[in-house]
Amino acid sequence: MISAIHGLNFVLPIFYFITFIAYVYDFVKEKSPLQNSKRLFLFLTLVIHVFYLFARTIEFNHPPITNKFEIFTVLAFSLAFSYFLLELITDIRGTGVFILLLAILFQFISTFYIKDLIDVKEVLRDRLLGLHVMSALLGYSGITISAVHGILFLMLYKSIKFKKYGLIFNRLPNLEILEKLSFYAMVIGFFLLTISITIGIVWLPQAFPKFSYADPKLITTAVVWLVYGVGLILKTFLNWYGRKIVVFSIVGFLTAMVSLLLSNLLSNSFHTFY
Amino acid sequence: MNLIAISINHKTAPIDLREALHLNKDEIVELITLLRENYLAEGIILSTCNRTEIFGLPKDSLLIHEQIKETLIKYKTVTGIKKEHFVSYFSCSAVKHLFRVASGIDSMILGDSQILGQVKEAIQISEDLKFINKMFKRLLDTSIRVGKRSIKETLISEGAVSISYAAVQVISKIFANLDKKSALVIGAGETGELAAIHLRDKGIGKITISNRTKSKSDALADKVHGDSLSFSYLKENLHNYDIVISATSSEGFILSYDDIKLMMKKRRNATVCLMDIAIPRDIDPQSSELDNVFYNDIDSLKIIVDKNIKKRESEIPIIEEIIMEEMVNFFNWFNSLDVIPTIKNLRAFFEEIRIDEIEKIKNKVSDEDFLKIEEMSKRMIGRLLHNPTVNLKQLAENGAKFEETANSIVLLQEIFNLPNNNSNNQTID
Repeated sequence: MISAIHGLNFVLPIFYFITFIAYVYDFVKEKSPLQNSKRLFLFLTLVIHVFYLFARTIEFNHPPITNKFEIFTVLAFSLAFSYFLLELITDIRGTGVFILLLAILFQFISTFYIKDLIDVKEVLRDRLLGLHVMSALLGYSGITISAVHGILFLMLYKSIKFKKYGLIFNRLPNLEILEKLSFYAMVIGFFLLTISITIGIVWLPQAFPKFSYADPKLITTAVVWLVYGVGLILKTFLNWYGRKIVVFSIVGFLTAMVSLLLSNLLSNSFHTFY
Repeated sequence: MNLIAISINHKTAPIDLREALHLNKDEIVELITLLRENYLAEGIILSTCNRTEIFGLPKDSLLIHEQIKETLIKYKTVTGIKKEHFVSYFSCSAVKHLFRVASGIDSMILGDSQILGQVKEAIQISEDLKFINKMFKRLLDTSIRVGKRSIKETLISEGAVSISYAAVQVISKIFANLDKKSALVIGAGETGELAAIHLRDKGIGKITISNRTKSKSDALADKVHGDSLSFSYLKENLHNYDIVISATSSEGFILSYDDIKLMMKKRRNATVCLMDIAIPRDIDPQSSELDNVFYNDIDSLKIIVDKNIKKRESEIPIIEEIIMEEMVNFFNWFNSLDVIPTIKNLRAFFEEIRIDEIEKIKNKVSDEDFLKIEEMSKRMIGRLLHNPTVNLKQLAENGAKFEETANSIVLLQEIFNLPNNNSNNQTID
């Protein structure tokens, strides 16, 4: 089993890379022969990834969420899978290359640094932690996809505004669709992050009796949640749209990234497990 | 192959002469009757706003280009046409020209996909008049295939190549559902009309026309199933529209920066697309500085048009390859219509049946009877095939009636399911 896991760990980035190249080729070339087959590549990659994640869970007796490199591979899967669903539902194919770029990045880092972990802290085997991490990861995928579509919105906005009718103009879907995709992904991301935070709050006093509400991870997470919350209120009740709301999505994403970095860099956070 | 063609088109003649020679459907039918009486055994007439072309197989003499031109000019009673306004083609060059026309690379708007429909229409008229036979039909079908392949396999018809269509292309990069948007077209001239038609074809939710002369805006509004707005109420209603296309001949700005600023305020900064396709411009270009205002004038739209034309031009070599491929296939088939191989195939087909049947009775009769029956079957097949063989040879010996021979051979191949003989394959240049 271990050798199969190692084999899959090696094969996965190759599959992600091939899929990514197929998406790049299709993005650059109009009427490319890979228009439909690129989706098949992505599907195959996701199937292999599911096998890999299950194999790790069975072999090491814990879900792959106990260190950052395990989390990276789950994040890569979560991003690619979310995009796959998005493409299937909306049939919008022009943005895949940008989202898969992040997925491939996370998977490459994970493949190079991931270790076989059998002994993990008992606290990391808790079921609530599993739910907390999984909803957080899916939430992060949502806000990442939202931010990517937000950036693409700004790129297309500039392209039309400054009359640069190149690849971005030709291949991306229109501004309204990009804005909608960014907003829906933001709503889903916010909802899942709320679930994750709620579980965290319930679970925290049980797992860490001496935790502090002034913990940097808690503060930065609250800021991220507030940024998105304000964005959603402005969109829903004050009818904000276009560039303004997209900027909220990007700022929220950047805050989330800073929050992740801080919680990993500051050793005095209870959220540092490894 | 004795195909001949004459063409007067945008490359050879000015618009007034092309217009003068344009034929409507009834005129095409009448002209076909005239040509059929005197010169052509089969043919088609293609007449669009940019070209009038006659393709056909001559009845007797091969050099009838001049007579066909004269018939056309006489029929339309046009003066001032010179020889150089026409181009003449014969055989391979006529086939190649037909394929180029069908593919859209010979059109004034490169890659114009309308031409394929017009070629189909021309073929239909001739078919209805029974002015097309099997061999010529095969050639025309091939030309349709060239047209379809050009659209499907290349980018020759992709992208906007007119200013008004480029404007619509930009609009569709801003808004997702045009059926939920409203558009205002200022100016009911030719450009405004074209833009309004493009918007209607794209399924715009609501379209309003405004023009200084109310009767003109009413007429265009009727044409595109929209509303008409009085020019004097233009500014106070501006905020109701997501798209404003202006194409008037006004000397100064119709809409100033302040008008647009006020409009955006009333719209609570909702995205608006301004398309100024007038010369001189109708909308102050400074408006583009406003947030959520997408302003385009002719120059910026021309960037799109030029890019698309370049893209289409880069597809021409691929289409030339398609044309060559289809010409080779067509002439391979055409060359298979030789008399001798067909007679051989026909005889082989009958001989096969004869042997098959004879074998079935071999063990049921005595050897002596079998020999008699075999002899009789050979004589029977010989007699059955005598007349077809002689007649085919006679047809082939009469060189001017090659198309008739070819049609007979196609018929024979079809009814007896004979194989095509491609032993005489040759490359077309």
